[in-house]
Amino acid sequence: MSEVPPRARGVIALHEDNCTSCMLCARECPDWCIYIDSHKVTQPPETPHGRPRVEAVLDRFAIDFSLCMYCGICIEVCPFDALFWSPEYEYAGPAPLSLLQERPELGSWMRSVPDPPERAGDDVR
Amino acid sequence: MTPDELAGQLRDLLGDEARPSTSYGLVTVDVPRTQWVAAVTTVRDALGLTFFDLLTAVDELEAGFDIVLRLWSPPERYGLLLRTRCPRDDAYVSSLAGVFAGAAWHERQVWEMFDIGFDGHPELRRLLLPDGFEGHPLRKEFVLASRVAKPWPGAKDPGESDRDLEQRPRRRVQPPGVPRPGTWP
Repeated sequence: MSEVPPRARGVIALHEDNCTSCMLCARECPDWCIYIDSHKVTQPPETPHGRPRVEAVLDRFAIDFSLCMYCGICIEVCPFDALFWSPEYEYAGPAPLSLLQERPELGSWMRSVPDPPERAGDDVR
Repeated sequence: MTPDELAGQLRDLLGDEARPSTSYGLVTVDVPRTQWVAAVTTVRDALGLTFFDLLTAVDELEAGFDIVLRLWSPPERYGLLLRTRCPRDDAYVSSLAGVFAGAAWHERQVWEMFDIGFDGHPELRRLLLPDGFEGHPLRKEFVLASRVAKPWPGAKDPGESDRDLEQRPRRRVQPPGVPRPGTWP
């Protein structure tokens, strides 16, 4: 990849471990281009008299970059830091459907997401 | 120039019928439709707002259409919005093409997107839309095909998939900014 600034906004990366399937990004997306499927799993109580917990488990997370306008609202609204800007941009394909990226591809962009700044304002030049 | 100073100057220049207001440090002055061209000319000449930035419109439903113009002063580095309103069933204003030649293109676009007429425009024809296009896409009543043909991906709740939408029909969150089903023809 040729040199672009590390915080360039090339593609959206998914850090799956942080995603709670809360649907906020899919609901805020003005282009309707984020698709999420999940199912519920009941976790046994962690303490002797505790209650079982119901968790949503992610089945599908996809972003259609043929519709995305790169506004970054999904990244802004995610309360769990599961979405990030990556500076990579070379993912053109032969057909519009090849821009529909599923979990493995969205996850792979995490490799180029820069570390967060150590203090607020450190990355501002 | 502070927004308050600018609003005061606008009152002096444009008279009682002009209503300046300030929002987030940006001054907007509302003028009656009949004084649109005169007000723009006065502001351009008296305040040195010689840079025509943009002209557009806003569909305010029953209240009619707002026509919005942004002017800027390159040497003084400040600007303002001028706004006028026309009713829905009588949607036209006078053209600004004689005040700023560049306004002609913007008026062509507002005309094709909103069906707002511009009196005295030298050549009101389409700018961006293809020949044969039906409708005025920036009017609120214009049906967006992609919002009718495709289900909203946000209708699912956490822990649900497409299958649950079919198997568990119930009242669900509605997409923001889209009319209720059946509202559009």
